[in-house]
Amino acid sequence: MPSYVYCFTHAQHPLALDDLRGVGAEEPVLRAVRHNGLAAVVSNAPEGLRPKRRDLVAHETVLETLCAAGPIVPLRFGTVAPDDDAVAAELARGARRYTELLTRLAGNVERNVKGTHQEDALLADLLTGNPQLRAANQALRTAGGGSESDRIAFGEQVYLAVEQRRIRDTAYVVAALRPFAELDRHAPAVEGCFMNVSFLIPTDAQDDFDAAVVQLLTAMEGYAELRASAALPPYSFVDFAEARV
Amino acid sequence: MTIMAQPPAAGAGGGSAAGALYDVIELILDRGLVIDVFVRVSIVGIELLTIDARVVVASIDTYLRFAERCGRLDLTGGRQPVGLPAIVGQITENSAERKVRGAIAGAGRAIADTIQDIVTPDGRGSN
Repeated sequence: MPSYVYCFTHAQHPLALDDLRGVGAEEPVLRAVRHNGLAAVVSNAPEGLRPKRRDLVAHETVLETLCAAGPIVPLRFGTVAPDDDAVAAELARGARRYTELLTRLAGNVERNVKGTHQEDALLADLLTGNPQLRAANQALRTAGGGSESDRIAFGEQVYLAVEQRRIRDTAYVVAALRPFAELDRHAPAVEGCFMNVSFLIPTDAQDDFDAAVVQLLTAMEGYAELRASAALPPYSFVDFAEARV
Repeated sequence: MTIMAQPPAAGAGGGSAAGALYDVIELILDRGLVIDVFVRVSIVGIELLTIDARVVVASIDTYLRFAERCGRLDLTGGRQPVGLPAIVGQITENSAERKVRGAIAGAGRAIADTIQDIVTPDGRGSN
């Protein structure tokens, strides 16, 4: 029977699985597959899995709960192995890599930070600070909006200026938060956000990180907003690449 | 202090998963370890979830929208350019938390609205 795989961890992880339920309408119980000092947390795989809210919450809840009790390597949503034997074989095959990864991740959590500009404030700021853009805007107004090609040409110039701000403001936020992080990574681009970056933060540095986020929010009030996640399993830090934002 | 988009949903398995789910959905679906020899369930709609912002933004429609938006701005108020202060390296305590929470919640809703269009809620069919 296929096994849905949630995460890998040390075999000595407490693995308190009784109160947790897995993905799928049947809300399957969880079990541990152990091999040579490592363990995988799995359940029977549901048929026809889709990313329904219930299943995403189940996956996330399992990982968050286990992550709070010891280091884990989170697997991507929807990972299914042919059976438990195949899971044990993978633990054997990747034993060295997974053990090293668990050591590096121990004591750390992922904190994700998304930033959104307040668009009118951003655009007003760009026009105020750029005489050419301001003049072009005024010329279009005077012309009752101008031709479509004029509006497109002007809008493209504004877009390019906005792109520069995205880069600048992302760098600004990352520079302020990086001192508290072991690593940082770009998270997938999300529509409406000028930045989406995840930080690997030592558990005991979270208060300082939060204080820095609050400081940033105050500094950018009226111009941009930030939203920092609670402590997450280290989704974005499951490889050894050292690339930073 | 935990900075979150929304308070944790009551009764959500004791964790913050439900309350903050929308905020991290792209991480759950697009990050995490991939094992080559295991199948990743093919899930209709997943590829819609993360959008390359540059592809979306750099379009004629976007240019026209920016132009229109700029045309409607009131720039007569002697507005000062917004300068980002030199915050790096001088993070200090402050008491803006209450105000901050409001701002966070507002942005959270915007994201949630976007994602709600994509993720199928429980109880509604999709194929």
